[in-house]
Amino acid sequence: MDNITLAQGIVKAAALLGAGMCMGMGALGPGVGEGFVAGKACEGIARSPENASLITRTMLVGQAVSESTGIYSLVIALLLIFST
Amino acid sequence: MAKKKSPILKIFILFIIIETALVFVSGGFNKQLQIGLDDGKFVFRNIQSHYDLQERITEEFQIDEHYRQTGETPEIYGSNKTYEFFKNIFGKATAIGTFQLLRMLLIVDIMLLFIALLIKKRLLKRPSQPQILFEMIYTTLEQFVIETLGKERAHFTPYIVTLFLFIWVCNMVGMIPIPGFMEPTRNLNVPLGLGLFAVAIVHITALKVKGVWGHLKNYVNPVKNPLFLLDIIGELSKVVSISFRLFGNVLGGAIIILVVSSLVSYVVFPVGLNLFFGMFVGTIQAFVFTMLALTYIGVEISE
Amino acid sequence: MELSVEYIRIAAYLGAGISVGLGAITTGVGSGLIAGGGSLGVMKQPQANDQIFRTMLIGQAASQTAGIFALVISMLLIYGGFDTPEGGWFKAATLLSAGIAMGIGSLGPSLGAGYSGGEACKSVARMPKHGNFIMGNMLIGQALAQTSAIFALLISLLLLYSTPNQPVDISIGRILIKTLAFIGAGLAIGFGTIGPGAGIGYVAGKANDMMGRFPKEKSRIMRTMFLGAAISQSTAIYSLVIAFLLIFAV
Repeated sequence: MDNITLAQGIVKAAALLGAGMCMGMGALGPGVGEGFVAGKACEGIARSPENASLITRTMLVGQAVSESTGIYSLVIALLLIFST
Repeated sequence: MAKKKSPILKIFILFIIIETALVFVSGGFNKQLQIGLDDGKFVFRNIQSHYDLQERITEEFQIDEHYRQTGETPEIYGSNKTYEFFKNIFGKATAIGTFQLLRMLLIVDIMLLFIALLIKKRLLKRPSQPQILFEMIYTTLEQFVIETLGKERAHFTPYIVTLFLFIWVCNMVGMIPIPGFMEPTRNLNVPLGLGLFAVAIVHITALKVKGVWGHLKNYVNPVKNPLFLLDIIGELSKVVSISFRLFGNVLGGAIIILVVSSLVSYVVFPVGLNLFFGMFVGTIQAFVFTMLALTYIGVEISE
Repeated sequence: MELSVEYIRIAAYLGAGISVGLGAITTGVGSGLIAGGGSLGVMKQPQANDQIFRTMLIGQAASQTAGIFALVISMLLIYGGFDTPEGGWFKAATLLSAGIAMGIGSLGPSLGAGYSGGEACKSVARMPKHGNFIMGNMLIGQALAQTSAIFALLISLLLLYSTPNQPVDISIGRILIKTLAFIGAGLAIGFGTIGPGAGIGYVAGKANDMMGRFPKEKSRIMRTMFLGAAISQSTAIYSLVIAFLLIFAV
């Protein structure tokens, strides 16, 4: 096997554990938030169906913005896995 | 108003009585009733069982592992020739499990064909009870298809009804108390195959309706959608979610029935468990699988 | 570095307890939400008693999927025979991690499925004529919410069945890396499913609610629900990707 010292091993192991926790906790907020957006969009479309396309567009933009923190978590997790 | 008892209810009650009797006869978990021929003599006796729960679970869910550990030769097969044939095809590792799975699938297929022929032969103007059941299933599902896909795509109904009936009979067949009978959906390969088939039909329909480029541009367009690789993973996750849901529910029901029944020495409780997990959850999961396969098609072609 | 088989067994039993213990919390809460919705519905519309009761029972049975998954994993951990002495630290870590993944992973989805079912019961009470369609929509919404629990089940099964034993000549640093990567995978998919599960449950609940108020728009509401749920699912898919990488690519 390759020879890595104990210290190097601890650092890499901490990075991997951190990657897992980062993605796990980071997915918590966006999931709830996007669900809330979509739920309210359902309500809006039911109440005023003539504005359906407008509401759908707003929903998609809002979800894309809430998604960004999830994508930050993904990027950080990938960095922690591959570049330490 | 006084309702007449329907024959379905009578069959149901008879089923419960028979199963209760079977449960009482089979006795405690440490004892086992042995009925059958042994050395040409008819035997009917209680024997001390050598199973504990661990061995029992291994035998029930990992049959190949069980025979490898104990070193016995499998003896429940009618002809050794068929078994050798399957062993040559599938390799030694999972030969017995594959043999059992294929046998159960064959039994389910024959059952479905038999029911279909029987119902078709006795189609009446004033329908009998089984005919009402199957007509109800067909019309309900047809209504769902028309509401989701529109009237011009009602030709999906036979596929949807076949899917529902196949999964339904598969989930029910494990309740028949014959040794070696199990739900084919308990094996991961069956739900996975059905899920792959369903998602393939979704995409073939979308290609037909929207054209090749009209469909593919949702997936391979890095300008509009920079994370398009994740969309492809999302499509694959449809297969995983639709098939693992069925698999996990059926396997979970089987494990709960086995463990709880052994804890209460097979007295009365398994009847209720079989009712809940076999009939109730089995029907609901068959319906969920069918509805998801239908709605995937509807969402893909509606945009 | 050897690890005796008792310690692997400790990890397996600990994982089994965590799995079914955490998994039972919100399964119970969700079933309670559905029963609460059903009771409220019967109070408002006593004539539709039968229909509401049927919706409630079916919703409760379907919302317990995640709890059943947690039970499957804990049974596999107890009776599956994974405690082989040559497994070493790797085996102990994977067993504990499988329990954590499925336990935490069933928290969100059951809560979401419960909320969706409760709203569906109230909705059936408001509009008993469209009861069948609302029930179908409830089942689809619960199935969408439980998709992330299925990801957790997938990762748990992969951790149980397709991870290697610990090689004989291996440095302590390498053992640490691999062990913590397994635990990280369990934490990633476990926590990653809470948000999407609860969020999609909220979407499905709102859709059911609105379907009872405005039954004319049901196909449009259903399409919006599907679209919104598919986008909310994406963070769960990111977690799934990270967990895969942590298990197989490290």
